[in-house]
Amino acid sequence: MHAVDGLSLSVGRKEVVGIVGESGSGKSVSMYSMLGLLREPNVSVTGSVRFEGREILGLADREMRVLRGRDIGMIFQDPMTALTPVYKVGWQIAEQIRAHQDVTKAQARQRAVELLGEVGIPEPHRRVDQFPHEFSGGMRQRVVIAMALSCNPKLLIADEPTTALDVTTQAQILELMGKLQDAYDSSIVLITHDMGVISEMADRVVVMYAGRPAEIGDRRAVIRTPQHPYTWGLLGAVPRVETKRSRLATIPGTPVSPLNVPTGCAFAPRCVHRFEKCDERPVLRGDGHLDACWLSSEQKVHLRAGTLEIGEGA
Amino acid sequence: MAVFILRRLVSAILVMFSISILVFLIFFATPGVDPAARIAGRSATPQVLAQVKHEFGLDRPLPIRYGLMMDHLFIKQDLASYVNVGDKVIPQIEAAAPVTLSLVLGAAVIWLVVGVAGGVIAAANRGKFIDPLIMFLGIAAISVPAYWLGQVVNLITQSKLHSSIFSWVPPSGYVALSSNPGEWALHLLFPWLTLAALYAGIYARVLRAELVNALNEDYVRTARAKGLSERRILLRHALRCSLISIVSLFGLDFGSLIGGAALLTEVVFGLPGVGQLTYTALQNLDLPVIMGTVMYGAFFVVLANAVVDVAYGFLDPRVRLA
Amino acid sequence: MSDDVLLRATNVVKEFSLRSPGLRQRATMRAVADVSFEVRRGETFGIVGESGCGKSTLARCLVQLMAPTSGSVTFNDVELTTLSRRKLRPYRRQMQLVFQDPYASLNPRRRVGDIVAEPMRVNKTGSESAIRARVLELFELVGLDTASIQRYPHEFSGGQRQRIGIARSLSLNPSLVVADEPVSALDVSVQAQVLNLMADLQERLGLTYLFIAHDLGVVRHVSDRVAVMYLGEIVELANADDLYAAPLHPYTEALLSVAPELDDGTQAPRERIVISGDVPAPFNRPSGCAFRTRCPFATDHCAQVAPPLVELTPGRFVACHYPRNHSTASA
Repeated sequence: MHAVDGLSLSVGRKEVVGIVGESGSGKSVSMYSMLGLLREPNVSVTGSVRFEGREILGLADREMRVLRGRDIGMIFQDPMTALTPVYKVGWQIAEQIRAHQDVTKAQARQRAVELLGEVGIPEPHRRVDQFPHEFSGGMRQRVVIAMALSCNPKLLIADEPTTALDVTTQAQILELMGKLQDAYDSSIVLITHDMGVISEMADRVVVMYAGRPAEIGDRRAVIRTPQHPYTWGLLGAVPRVETKRSRLATIPGTPVSPLNVPTGCAFAPRCVHRFEKCDERPVLRGDGHLDACWLSSEQKVHLRAGTLEIGEGA
Repeated sequence: MAVFILRRLVSAILVMFSISILVFLIFFATPGVDPAARIAGRSATPQVLAQVKHEFGLDRPLPIRYGLMMDHLFIKQDLASYVNVGDKVIPQIEAAAPVTLSLVLGAAVIWLVVGVAGGVIAAANRGKFIDPLIMFLGIAAISVPAYWLGQVVNLITQSKLHSSIFSWVPPSGYVALSSNPGEWALHLLFPWLTLAALYAGIYARVLRAELVNALNEDYVRTARAKGLSERRILLRHALRCSLISIVSLFGLDFGSLIGGAALLTEVVFGLPGVGQLTYTALQNLDLPVIMGTVMYGAFFVVLANAVVDVAYGFLDPRVRLA
Repeated sequence: MSDDVLLRATNVVKEFSLRSPGLRQRATMRAVADVSFEVRRGETFGIVGESGCGKSTLARCLVQLMAPTSGSVTFNDVELTTLSRRKLRPYRRQMQLVFQDPYASLNPRRRVGDIVAEPMRVNKTGSESAIRARVLELFELVGLDTASIQRYPHEFSGGQRQRIGIARSLSLNPSLVVADEPVSALDVSVQAQVLNLMADLQERLGLTYLFIAHDLGVVRHVSDRVAVMYLGEIVELANADDLYAAPLHPYTEALLSVAPELDDGTQAPRERIVISGDVPAPFNRPSGCAFRTRCPFATDHCAQVAPPLVELTPGRFVACHYPRNHSTASA
């Protein structure tokens, strides 16, 4: 099974790259496997992953560990389960600092208090000695963010950081992440299923389908002129607060399971615009704004206009 | 935390009280049974029956009878056996309790060390040959009945190889810790191992399952993302959380063993413990002794439960508040 | 007047009493605090709010899965809260629930055909053959393959399972369907399919929907009228278009301003109002207005006097001393 297949991606310094896709699209798996977070014995990753010019795929676990947590911080989807329930939050932050830096317990704790303050937790001196269950969901996510930032990472990987949160809390967390990105000069890889979140945060977008990149481009370009029919569907299917449409554009069928990705274009079975050529696997093409679809640019403009009409018609 | 402990102890006392009433009712208020005849034993004379009736207030209302009973059991402590005339119940239990306690405590140390180590090693080596090997040893230890294992051990150490390798093994029996610590340990060594085998097997298997679950938890992923070593993740994060269920299991097992569940091991190795006492009393239908040991057993099960709950509070901060 | 009202809630309150060892006395948690509204025949009434705002508890009180602590719920002008279980049964049939989690709400050991048939069997609506025919009809109605009735829930995808849940809820020909977060567990492409299906069914069967969700976009898309809940209260209630165009309550305004939207660089940048803090615990309600602890416009007055839900302009209700966009709304 190919959970991720042929993903090439580069993240520049201070850049925010969004990876968007539905469940099973391989968006999380790709990041986890690169960082050696997948412990299953039958997972294999091939290809090349370079971090600051250095090949990190196939690094020994010991060397990888130094990278994880120090140079690369991670934020996860569910803050309710991301922290070890039996330790105080300050202890957990200090644990990471002490794993990477030669500091005393007291120094690490002091840094934990500062970090909690920085991520907007009121009364950090008191909260540092509380357990995860004494924090609300949004506050826990702040703790996770504080932990991810504790060693000033150069890259932050955020896997659905706001999906489990309420709208107002999501806004708080997104605002915080934006602010911290400026302060810490880190690059961010933002994994999400929500085009809205991408639109708020990302500079560049990778749309994934069935473990393969379907479209890569500048955030605004992808939202304004999406090239891949899957992206059209993804954008059209989301009900928006600003406009009311009587019917949502839908993508027929369900997301394909990575267990049986069709030969040829993975999206073809659900694509209303498929033609003979789609039996062959498309390659990512384009100049800056890449997509993996056999349709010509003229066809795309024409067909997309058609979808929009259906979507917005009575 | 102090309030939590206090509350837990008060509820333990209430449970003990309810159990004493229940035990009392079973022995003294079962319809159609004459408790006097039961207490007095099989071949009691009318004089003895009358004495029993008077002593336990069997002609008086139930609450008074309960009061008298508890008085005999706990305050005067003069509840006596009629089967073996004159044997007081409480001193018998007091004599038997240290034997059982020695047996169970020693075995508990062994099975906790072996079980936890086995579970951790198996979980850390998932997918390698050592994991199924430990699990197999575990299931083997669980499957072998204690009385059979005890007999085999006795056979080997006391007769077959007694003249060669196991010449240092003393004959079965018990030597008090206070009289000779070395002999105490030597006499109990094989009983400890026999009793611990079963529980070590169970604990290793349970802990492995808990650890494997814990290793799939989100917080373990977070710990990996923090760049911690696998060893630290396993011991400080996964094991720490898995211990919560091991502790609750341990409390129950320990309580019931102290309460007399180590009977088979005691009988096989000729240890005069509480299990042995109950066993003999049951054979002779010695009602006062049975009642005494039941109350004693219940006491330790309840106490162990209370201790487990308090330990829970220390291990799992979520319990403290909720 | 009440001809077109199908369901009316008046001053519905639901309190839970909690006891924790840390607290001396029992704490009362007001999950639903004095909620009144009406659902009109044939409309979709949306309830939107964040987690813990009491929207699911309210739904359960309305369909009598839970007895409200006080208040009245009428269905077709019949008071439900005082009815016995037995007398309630015919009304229950007319109000069906669709749940959030299509994975948890279907019995994994039963064939999906039996799951859909169950309400009919329990209520003995007809002969076995009539029920079977009805199951096939329902499967077609919700766009499932009729050949799949012999299969088990795990053989279906999330979207298909939600269709099964919808088919089950429709089996007794209800007039009201209460949908509690019906699409929040689904992928966006599948979510759109289910929302479209629900719209089609409403049109074909003349259903009335009470649609509960946390997603502002989804609620906007399906609803004719929308109530916004905060900490167990309705803080604003209005026609969907009006509410989304010019929210009156500061909470609604903030919610809308931070809902992620697609920015392709052509729209004017929005002013985002990020409200600080968390929703207070329901057993620790602030005095006066429940939202005042997070409201950027709160005054002393808000701490003293709880604003009632008043009809500011026809059809537009708001519970705020200082409604926003008021001039625009009335203009």
